[in-house]
Amino acid sequence: MSDSQFDPIPMAGEAPVAEAPSEGSSEIRDAIKQAIAEHELILFMKGTPEAPACGFSARTVAILQSLEVPFAAVDILPDARIRQELSALSSWPTIPQLFHKGELLGGCDIVTEMYESGELEAALR
Amino acid sequence: MPSTEEIKQRIEAALPGSRAEVVDTTGTADHFQATVVSHAFEGLSRIEQHRLVYGALQADIGGAIHALALKTRVPEHTP
Repeated sequence: MSDSQFDPIPMAGEAPVAEAPSEGSSEIRDAIKQAIAEHELILFMKGTPEAPACGFSARTVAILQSLEVPFAAVDILPDARIRQELSALSSWPTIPQLFHKGELLGGCDIVTEMYESGELEAALR
Repeated sequence: MPSTEEIKQRIEAALPGSRAEVVDTTGTADHFQATVVSHAFEGLSRIEQHRLVYGALQADIGGAIHALALKTRVPEHTP
């Protein structure tokens, strides 16, 4: 995977799983909502914190690690519907997406700006 | 492939009175960096500001534009 923030969202016919898209999609959306509710700080990213698959995800992970704050991470790559449902839920087209206490804090650009101004540390501590 | 000029024009058309600077960061016309200055951002959170810009480029996000690093700010002086 390159450092692309925007992978094309597959059409329904290209969905990697054969089951009815609506059923699977709503389960995925519920799982995303639950994960956001259960974790004070959660990052949806490409790859994992140990092996980020995109430069923007890598930079966001590095910022969180430098602040030494614990966070949950979800790799959106294994199933294209995760990305699709997440963006539909958050009205945010890009990855990564960082949520704090149930609210979208931002993507890589906003997290970087907040980090540089000290706002991020203040918000997370 | 959108050009930096096209992206600039689309952002400025969607946000009247705004100024956009767009850079092609890789020279491949798919990774861009944009700085947008607009009064429309006044009173909005950064998230809302970025959503306005994404909205201007919606059709191309996920298509021709692979990445858009974005900075938004409110103008310091009123024109």
